[in-house]
Amino acid sequence: MTPFEVKDCALLTRMSGLLPAINLRELRERIAACGENVLFHHYCETTLRASFDNPDYRNDFAVWSKLYLGDRVLAERLGIIDPYAVSSLGDLRAATLEVIDERLSELTMIPWARAGDEFFFMEATTVMFSAGIRIRHPSRLSDAIRKMTNGSIYFHFLEARRRPPIGADDFTAWLLENEDGGRNRPYIEALASIDFHFHSLAELRKELATRLSGLEGGR
Amino acid sequence: MTAPLAAYEGIVGATVLRQLHQLGEKLSGVRVVHVNSTREGGGVAEILEWMTPLMGELGVKATWEVIHGDPAFFEITKAIHNGLQGHNVGISSKDWKIYEDVNGTNFDRLRPILEEADIVFIHDPQPAHLLRLCERRKGKWIWRAHIDISRPFRPVWKSLKPLLEGYDASIFSMAEFAQPLPHPQFLVPPSIDPLSDKNRDLSPAEIDAVRTEYGLDPSRPLLVQISRFDRFKDPVGVVTAYRMVRKVAPVQLVLAGGGATDDPEGKAVLEDVMEAAGNDPDIHVLLLPPDAHKTINALQRLATIILQKSTREGFGLTVTEGMWKGKPVIGGDVGGIRLQVVNHHTGFLVNTPEGAAHRIRYLLHYRQDIERMGETGREFVREHFLLTRHLREYLTLMLVTLRDTKANMIEV
Repeated sequence: MTPFEVKDCALLTRMSGLLPAINLRELRERIAACGENVLFHHYCETTLRASFDNPDYRNDFAVWSKLYLGDRVLAERLGIIDPYAVSSLGDLRAATLEVIDERLSELTMIPWARAGDEFFFMEATTVMFSAGIRIRHPSRLSDAIRKMTNGSIYFHFLEARRRPPIGADDFTAWLLENEDGGRNRPYIEALASIDFHFHSLAELRKELATRLSGLEGGR
Repeated sequence: MTAPLAAYEGIVGATVLRQLHQLGEKLSGVRVVHVNSTREGGGVAEILEWMTPLMGELGVKATWEVIHGDPAFFEITKAIHNGLQGHNVGISSKDWKIYEDVNGTNFDRLRPILEEADIVFIHDPQPAHLLRLCERRKGKWIWRAHIDISRPFRPVWKSLKPLLEGYDASIFSMAEFAQPLPHPQFLVPPSIDPLSDKNRDLSPAEIDAVRTEYGLDPSRPLLVQISRFDRFKDPVGVVTAYRMVRKVAPVQLVLAGGGATDDPEGKAVLEDVMEAAGNDPDIHVLLLPPDAHKTINALQRLATIILQKSTREGFGLTVTEGMWKGKPVIGGDVGGIRLQVVNHHTGFLVNTPEGAAHRIRYLLHYRQDIERMGETGREFVREHFLLTRHLREYLTLMLVTLRDTKANMIEV
């Protein structure tokens, strides 16, 4: 079995070059025009950034709509968009614009934020490090995950879905790659059963370690 | 004196140090020059004091140079600095000429090292003109803004912008502090040093000594705001909040800061605070010297709740320091405080003295939340606002800039 190489990662954030949005119409225009890296940052990388986990909403657009536009209807609709449930970032952009367009059609006045509360469009470079750890057997996954950093959890379980094989986390991809006679099936099913949308990275680590603990199988 | 990197392992973990060493291997031998305008005093010098040796420890050939100038030059650069932060200042063409000439004199002295450097970090506007003078530069030049230039005084920005556009990249502490420039603009928040006198662990005896020195009652809750006496820190609003709480709970208040003696505005604010405090023996207004780091550390550790009720704020490192001491923070809903204080998690954001009083009473009522939020805040700082993260981001942006890449991912 090929060992699983544990990686770690961190973000280096930068301005996207887009002007900040002060109202909902500008937010819509910028989202329509921004690079996919920007969209990914505000939907997915937000969990790793130095902003606190907002327990209400999981992406920056929903949080901004609630806190600074004061539009809770829009926040709820944006907040339920799951970036990992769509097949591409293009579809994610389309889903976001659809929600905003719908809201714009309902409103008689465009919601505005105060000066200083604009939405700033950012993007990031992910820096990947070697964690110097190798996992040689599925039965060791749980213990190894328990000791992983937030960066490793993000990289292997969330960011991985952006890399080939698209939509799969690295643990599942490794288990499938080394599948032999269905012995990795319990692990693959355990990973697939996790609803990670509302988890912070610390919670996700705990949930992964718990679900993978004590399973029978592996080679 | 900065501790060696290994001294941080017990605080941040081996993984964080491993990341730094991996980055250091990729940057081994790279010649980096930091240039600022003072060797002592101020946040920039404090950062460079630890960053330069730690970069060196990782294999980067880092040096720190300081530009020299006469008082007239520093008056002009102070005006530029204030203008960038939005103050209406008058800078004549003669002043700009002096600014350029003094940069020229410094360039003559620094020429060899600047021309040969692989990366030059220019900190703040004072030495920014060096870029134009260094025509035979080989490396990348990065301008680091430590201040909020989101709403600059336009005449100052119009003069400085063409100069800054020539840089290969710039760094801001927060997106909210930046101005559009035609090169990569990295976002690197500041940090605290957990082993400095202001943040290191103190013995019970050291903490008790400060408690005794200022006559603080250990049996009653203590509210602490550490900040210079400045209207934007709203110390009078803090006293108002304290009085509202005092009607129902036997709290004590410490307002501690420095910088009032040679600053007319600060002096006036201090007088207002003293007047608001009146003869209340439970309000302690402390004017501390600039090197009272250990005293500040102890006061933060003695606090039940940390306040930072600013109405305008930069990043708000006193909030970071308070959270590192495991305390909930009640802070103004402005600037970098928003990045750190999250309602019900690490403290509360407030907009008025009434809001501050309400949240103080809330925490005194739900005492269990004080410990929980304090612990959450400390872990949040450990993850995001210690100097090791700061150093990692500098090393990463050096790598990205040298490789001239806009790639989504780089492997080290």
